[in-house]
Amino acid sequence: MNCGSSLLQVAVAAPLVAALVMVFSKWLPCAAKKAVAGVGFVVPALAALALCCAFPCAEKLGGYAFYSSCETIGVPSLGIWLQFGLNGISLPLFLMATIVGLAAGLRAIATKGVAQSGLYYAVTLVMFGGVLGVFSAIDVFSFYIFHEFALIPTFVAILLWGGYARKTTAITMVIYLTLGAMVSLAGLFALYFAGAGAGEYGFSFLGVAQAVADGIVLDGNVSVIFALLLFGFGILVSLFPFYSWAPDTYSVAPTPISMLHAGVLKKFGLYGLIQLGALALPLGLADWQNWIIWLALGNIVLIGLITMVQKDLKQMVSYSSVMHMGPIFLGIAAFAISGGDTAGLGGAVVLMFAHGLSVALLFHLGQSVYDRTGTYDMTKMGGLTAKAPVLAAFFVAATMASIGLPGFANFWGELTIFTSLAQIQPTWLLGAIVLSIVISAIYGLRAVAKIFYGKNTGAALSDEAFENVSDITAAERVPAIVLFAALVAVGFVPSLITKNIDATLKTDFAPAAKVLCADCGVVPAETDGDAIILEGSIPVEVPADNCEACGGNADQVVLAKNITVSVDGAVGNPGDFVLSGDDATLLKVLEQAEVDEEATFVVVLRVRARIPVDIEELRNGDVEDIPLEDGDKISVE
Amino acid sequence: MDNETLLRVILLTPLVAAVVSAFFFRRSRVVAPAISVTAAGVILFASLALLLGLDPANPTASATLPGFALGGFTELETIGLSVDKNGAAMLFVVTFVAFWIHVFSVGYMDDDKARGRFFAGLSVFMFSILGIILANNLFMTFIFWELVGFSSYMLIAHYWDTDYAAMASKKAFIANRVGDLGFLVGIILCYAQYGTTNFAELEVLIKSGEMTFTSIGLLLMCGFLGKSAQFPLHVWLTDAMAGPTPVSALIHAATMVAAGVFFMVRIFFLLTPDVLTTMLWLCAGMAALGGLCALGQTDIKKSLAYSTLSHLGFMGAAIGLGLPEIALLHMAMHAFFKATLFLCSGSIIHACHHEQDMTKMGGLLKKMPITAAAFVVAGLSICAFPWMAGWYSKDMILSGAYLAGNIPAFVALVIAAIGTTLYTGRMFAMVFLGKAHGHGAEHAKESSAWMTLPLIVLGVIFSLGAGWFLAGTNGISWLGGKMNALFPTVATEAFAHGYHDLHDKLAAAGLVAPMFILGVVILVVGLGLAVVFYRTATGEDKLREHSPTLYKALEYRYMDTLYAWYIEKVQQRFAMLVAMLDTALVNMLAMRGVVAGVPAILGSVSRRFIQNGNGSVTVFWIAFGALAVAAALVSGVLS
Repeated sequence: MNCGSSLLQVAVAAPLVAALVMVFSKWLPCAAKKAVAGVGFVVPALAALALCCAFPCAEKLGGYAFYSSCETIGVPSLGIWLQFGLNGISLPLFLMATIVGLAAGLRAIATKGVAQSGLYYAVTLVMFGGVLGVFSAIDVFSFYIFHEFALIPTFVAILLWGGYARKTTAITMVIYLTLGAMVSLAGLFALYFAGAGAGEYGFSFLGVAQAVADGIVLDGNVSVIFALLLFGFGILVSLFPFYSWAPDTYSVAPTPISMLHAGVLKKFGLYGLIQLGALALPLGLADWQNWIIWLALGNIVLIGLITMVQKDLKQMVSYSSVMHMGPIFLGIAAFAISGGDTAGLGGAVVLMFAHGLSVALLFHLGQSVYDRTGTYDMTKMGGLTAKAPVLAAFFVAATMASIGLPGFANFWGELTIFTSLAQIQPTWLLGAIVLSIVISAIYGLRAVAKIFYGKNTGAALSDEAFENVSDITAAERVPAIVLFAALVAVGFVPSLITKNIDATLKTDFAPAAKVLCADCGVVPAETDGDAIILEGSIPVEVPADNCEACGGNADQVVLAKNITVSVDGAVGNPGDFVLSGDDATLLKVLEQAEVDEEATFVVVLRVRARIPVDIEELRNGDVEDIPLEDGDKISVE
Repeated sequence: MDNETLLRVILLTPLVAAVVSAFFFRRSRVVAPAISVTAAGVILFASLALLLGLDPANPTASATLPGFALGGFTELETIGLSVDKNGAAMLFVVTFVAFWIHVFSVGYMDDDKARGRFFAGLSVFMFSILGIILANNLFMTFIFWELVGFSSYMLIAHYWDTDYAAMASKKAFIANRVGDLGFLVGIILCYAQYGTTNFAELEVLIKSGEMTFTSIGLLLMCGFLGKSAQFPLHVWLTDAMAGPTPVSALIHAATMVAAGVFFMVRIFFLLTPDVLTTMLWLCAGMAALGGLCALGQTDIKKSLAYSTLSHLGFMGAAIGLGLPEIALLHMAMHAFFKATLFLCSGSIIHACHHEQDMTKMGGLLKKMPITAAAFVVAGLSICAFPWMAGWYSKDMILSGAYLAGNIPAFVALVIAAIGTTLYTGRMFAMVFLGKAHGHGAEHAKESSAWMTLPLIVLGVIFSLGAGWFLAGTNGISWLGGKMNALFPTVATEAFAHGYHDLHDKLAAAGLVAPMFILGVVILVVGLGLAVVFYRTATGEDKLREHSPTLYKALEYRYMDTLYAWYIEKVQQRFAMLVAMLDTALVNMLAMRGVVAGVPAILGSVSRRFIQNGNGSVTVFWIAFGALAVAAALVSGVLS
């Protein structure tokens, strides 16, 4: 248990603890409620920044830094137990979640005249805690549970504080998302019962990947399971044509909830498709790649057209967020299309990161526009720059980020994804996909022009009322700056996040990439691009040295000379043991740990596996001694 | 400083200037312009230092900035900056013209309320255009290509409170994005095809016998059509005149629109004959069309904008004829005289209290002598008066077309050349001759030194002598051979070879004298006709008086009408239809029909929650969830 993993736990726990305090909100003064909620929102963001800084040099188990596990939560004998940790893919998303959460939280705290403010904060905090859990869980079970955990508050928030037609909307959303969750749950169950979770393989992302790679799951089942995951997660991510819930939900929900849901929670499905779908079921991905392409094209072109005719600002932002899911799906499909080039997956993660921030910023600023004009109807506004130039500047920046201008993080994601799709067949599809940069420019700039340029139309605001409009307040400015700064930082220095993403993609996804490339067989002769395919697919067995600062550490990981394992349970000498290569077997460790006489059973837990062994048989040599890995947890019973 | 540092300084100085003035001096009237002009000066000096330090025989320099890599996409692992002979020429022209336009802006924007935003925008633009010049691969070019489009958008929208500027800025950005759609697809296919997008590496590959593809060439050309405003994406440029005049001079005449030409010259080796033919027809047509339509505008800036379209057409046609070096030469010469003409118009507009209608001007010759002098020099230069800047490049393109035996293209370009003399003469007659026809023109006086000094430098000196480095075979060399006439010698390398080569061919064909005479005839007849015809006592446009139908045709509203029709009647209606189908099919049918069972079950459950709920159920849920996670965490910590 190092301080990194504690920090990660604190980050997830902080909003939930703060939410718990809100149970006593009746007896708390308003300022105290705000302060507690504020702590709940700020602590994870600070922790995430610290974790980001520590990540390159942190000790990693199976690619996961800040690893911690807890067997008492879950049923280890079924392969299910709580595991926390961050790898290069979840780290940027975790960071994004905390930033969006911080902004949404500040927006929630600054909202005036909310009924039952304590409950309001609590709901937002629980949702925040849930999404943080989603991105820090390694085992599939908690990953799923945390999603549900974050989803329920959305429903509650819409029912209690939603706008027009909130009941219908909440029910629509629940039906859709429950359906999606059920389908994806069916996929997870299928995966579990197909054998991925049982026996020696823990039901974690890596455990499942290992199980599928070892052939535990029948090839025929892989495709079916992937389909269940694709459409289940697809509904949750508003894949075409399962998106109807999204625009209504986002435009009805209170703004902080919209920010958190559209920005972060919606990425759950995509995250699952990457960390589980692409990692463990690459052949399923290859089978379904054409479906993804065509449906994602529906997201881009058809939803794009629908976005263009929206008059309501919040609806427009909502539809645009549905549209932007298209390129992310394509990034995932590109993993198969390109025959195992991980660039598309990397682009997808970058775009998820960027889109989360930019859509939250747009919702946030949209609410600010509403607070000034009293309407979301863009045709009734106009000329707001005269009274709110800073708000206008932020809005233009958010729009530019959302339509993928270089200098904002979104651009790098989109560019990488589009480039990774070079092998798409037929080639004209590439043109249809890149059409998204034109469509998004049309609706984005229209909105800017309608709201901020020209003169006040007088429909929403009379001339006197227009004169009294004020510029962005400090309470609105802080969340906007936080989101904007993150977008620009990654926009100018993309390697801030891409280094970690790429390192994880190169190591963790190498087996999946190999499968896809073996699968792609002979590359068509006329494409001279096979140089690219090969480049992407040659699995790099040695983890990339992304740890210049601490020098020798990286070598240690590669050579694994010294490993640390912890032993507890029925032993005379529990605690951590540092072993060198030859000593690193289960039998030797059990000797050192002085196992109690009556102990009969020992379990080895690691990131991708759970290995139960009978001590008697081990001693007699009936079962082979087990080589240990760094970070193994051995419990003796 | 070594070359690497200089390159980084050149690229990053304007970015720093933009950030500092946008975030800290937004409201300042003095500091933001000072920062921006200083930055432009630093860039100019750094560029000169770089160019004078390079070896003229091998003018290359490169530097890198950190980038990123993901999976197999390693093209941007390091951001490479490089200068070759084309880049050197473009770098000198852009930084020189830009510096003087920055100076001009200080005077022109003296009564503007948003100077901070304006100058920050200029600096963002400088950052972007320098990025295009220094980019060493296609992806980098695309990055800065987009940024240039953005800065153009922001500067066109400077007068955001007018509906016209709001519309024009949007139009410019979207038209550019349409071009960028093809451009990006072309880049991606090029990367997939050759495995690299580095210009130098691509050139080596092609020279070693790799095939070129018409599809890739045409797609890359889309970027040029958007940025250099050629048919059918030319509609944005004339509306872009809604921006402040220095912006029109810098972005929409001298540099950004020319970046498209620069780019095509850079990737010339990738273009197949089919691509070149397409380009020739599109651009030669645009040259003739622009040249004539400039006669149908009374707004002085719009007239100049059509002139820019026409001359960009000249450059594109030169590329289409296989004369990339001449295209680049015309781009450089055009940058000086067209920037001057725009700055003159700015000086006039400023003096006439923001009056842009030429029919309301007149008689400014005596009131604004320096502006008039600059206009005369630049005007003669654009009309290709012998031995002035425009003569070296424009007449060469005409000759090149004739020499190539491409008579239709030659005729189109001759029409364009006649058009040039006509609209220049018309503009001179309507603005400077006769007497004032408007309130603004009556009270006009010569502009301040901030504005006249750039007019003298760019107008009188450079529009006159920018081409003299081509005089004779070695030009006019000084400063130990480091300077040639008004250019650093390094910056002339890109033109000299192609120019002298073509000149030799003309001489061999015995065409030098006939072409010279043809040029002079066009000049004398065109200018004379225009000045005589358009000299007016009433201020009314003579053509509009005599032949309204012809004038109306020259106003050229057809493409705008066509696009407006497409957007309103096709695109918007189609989008509405899709939205309706979405509501009807996906939302209603699928939602309430197909999954009717699920709503029936879940709906009733949810409804019961709502009705019985009054908050306690939700609190229960929250408490339950929070407890579960708390328990998980506590036991996690304990283990």
